[in-house]
Amino acid sequence: MKNINARENIAAYSFLLPALILLGLFLLLPALIAIYYAFTDYYLLTPDNTQFVGLDNFIAIFKDPIFIQSLKNVGLFVVCVIPVQIGSALGLALLINKQRRGNMFFKVAFFAPVVLSLVVISVLWLYLLNPSEGLINVILERVGINPQPFLTSPDQAMYTIVFVSAWQGAGYQMLIFLAGLQNIPSSVYEASKIDGANKWQNFIHITLPLLKPTSILIMITTLIAAFKLIIQPMVMTQGGPMNSTITPVYYIYQTGFTDRLIGYASTMTVVFGILIGIVTIIQSKVSREDDSK
Amino acid sequence: MKKFMILIVCSFLVMIIAACSGDKASSDNKNEVSIWVHTSKETAEGKAMQKIIDRFNQEYQGKYSATIEFIPRSGSGGGYEDKINAALTTDTLPDVFTLDGPNTAAYAESGMIAPIDDYISNKDDLLPSIIQQGTYDGNLYAVGYSESGVGIFYNKQMLKDAGIDLSTLPTVDDPWDWNQFMELCETLVNTYDAPAIDMGLNDKSEWLMYAFSPFLWSQGGNIVNEDGTKAAGIFNDEDSVKTMSFIQDMVENGYTTKTPVEKAFQTGKYPMKFTGSWTIAEMDSSYPDVEYGIMPYPTSPDTNKLVSPSGSWQYAMSATTEKKEAAGALIDFMTSTESLTEISLANSVLPAAHSVVEEVKDKVSPQMNVLIEQNSKTAHARPALPKYPQVSRVFQQTISDLTYDKNNNIQKLLDQKAAQIDKALK
Repeated sequence: MKNINARENIAAYSFLLPALILLGLFLLLPALIAIYYAFTDYYLLTPDNTQFVGLDNFIAIFKDPIFIQSLKNVGLFVVCVIPVQIGSALGLALLINKQRRGNMFFKVAFFAPVVLSLVVISVLWLYLLNPSEGLINVILERVGINPQPFLTSPDQAMYTIVFVSAWQGAGYQMLIFLAGLQNIPSSVYEASKIDGANKWQNFIHITLPLLKPTSILIMITTLIAAFKLIIQPMVMTQGGPMNSTITPVYYIYQTGFTDRLIGYASTMTVVFGILIGIVTIIQSKVSREDDSK
Repeated sequence: MKKFMILIVCSFLVMIIAACSGDKASSDNKNEVSIWVHTSKETAEGKAMQKIIDRFNQEYQGKYSATIEFIPRSGSGGGYEDKINAALTTDTLPDVFTLDGPNTAAYAESGMIAPIDDYISNKDDLLPSIIQQGTYDGNLYAVGYSESGVGIFYNKQMLKDAGIDLSTLPTVDDPWDWNQFMELCETLVNTYDAPAIDMGLNDKSEWLMYAFSPFLWSQGGNIVNEDGTKAAGIFNDEDSVKTMSFIQDMVENGYTTKTPVEKAFQTGKYPMKFTGSWTIAEMDSSYPDVEYGIMPYPTSPDTNKLVSPSGSWQYAMSATTEKKEAAGALIDFMTSTESLTEISLANSVLPAAHSVVEEVKDKVSPQMNVLIEQNSKTAHARPALPKYPQVSRVFQQTISDLTYDKNNNIQKLLDQKAAQIDKALK
């Protein structure tokens, strides 16, 4: 009997092994190496002269105005994009939840941006948002609004990226919400109908609470994805104007691969990783506390 | 069953280990050298390179042989450089490889590439800008195989219609200064009610460094001092302020724009475009009906000295190669007049040596000849600094920041930027 158990264990671990090796090789190991590099002055072109520099890099990054700026930028992005993206995802999900004609078309239409590559989306919007000939400004002018600079203004660039990102990402969350909505048993709505609840009361007291597990999942995944913002600013603004759209991941990429300062970039990765970890933990604590109420 | 599992696991591990231990690019035969280039086999440049290598193998048959590997880089320069960096870490660099001009200093300083003074036989023939670009710390480390240049492309018909006598336009020997150029812009803006020139200010990349730094050099200014150790007192001096004011005036007066319309020059919406030799090829293939000419860079009114940008990809020898003789012979062969002429004509790029200028002069368009002349007489290489990427980025941001109204105080902006460069140079 014992023998069979051991055998089964070995078999189970063997099945796990490929996944574990790959995870270890491509996720855990690089993460550990990054932590090690964070304490060194590793310069990409002279790997043999790498020296241990203690906490120097950590002190330096907190004095680096661009790194601080990038944290502020991504903070602004996260704070804006989460409500906009999740709100519109929920709105879209509610719209197409009802059975009506042409629903399939809207489902595909809302989901289409998710399938497209982010680079394609960014280039597309770059054309639409061109201040002198873009479609958006042409439309604005028609309705009597002055043309806007959008991505070429330090004040508007980040909000423009928020809008584009929400537009691109919302379709995905919409699908998850839709699944959540369809999991709500119709008997609950029937009961509330008997109690005389109107549509709004239905939404607030039934739909929203029952969507809670879905919402928490969406919140966490969107939050983490939002922190990793890089492609949109890379393609659309190159971090400008005046560093108003530089994000930590983009800055880490620049420092590591353009400036070749792997050590310094690793330090930022470690610090930024810890920051995301803290935010995620706080968020899951808060939503769990809500649960126990 | 158990044995079977162990077998699977072991073979998996072997696969991983095998995948990790890359094979060396260089072969063991002492006379057989390998070269990596950044273009694709299908491009005109790649085909010309393949031909040159074939000729080398024929000419040196029995003595040396060379194999070429094409590692196309992506638009922003990634791909190829990643491979070089990876090969450096694993000590698998080829004997010879191509590198972009601004990388010379970083590669030389970190001991990645070897000095090649002794192997290059036609140093006197190479253009000064090529030597300048490939030299670090007094030694020649790399040789560019072509040149690049920028000029002011103008639509002949549009200028004529605006009442400008084309015969009065500037030439390389008799350039215009900034004020004269701005007068032309004023006339064109008034005629067409559109920006006079697309200067590519929306391109926040190396372009801003490459194309706009010659204005600063024409004024007599610089980005860093001679030793490349300091920017304070240099990048924020009077010359820089004057240069940046000119660029800012161009934007503020509406002569140019930071948000140009796509292909505005090619489609006749703007009369002029500030662009490089590559646009000649584009005009030939896609807009053959547009009659255009090229004028040289406008100069600083204080010095009247014409300075134009330069720079290109180059060949260099890996410092770790044990086949220095063969690798040196290959680079020398690839930068001979014959090889350089071949690549210049095939790829329609500017020639890199005086003799090649003579060779191609009669075979290229008059527009190309303006750039060739400007390049051979006035080209200035970008500074050879190990920390070039950071310096270049600060310069790019300076040009880009200038165009925002908030930054009317140029002195203050330059003080900040100079401090930023100094921090990177440390």
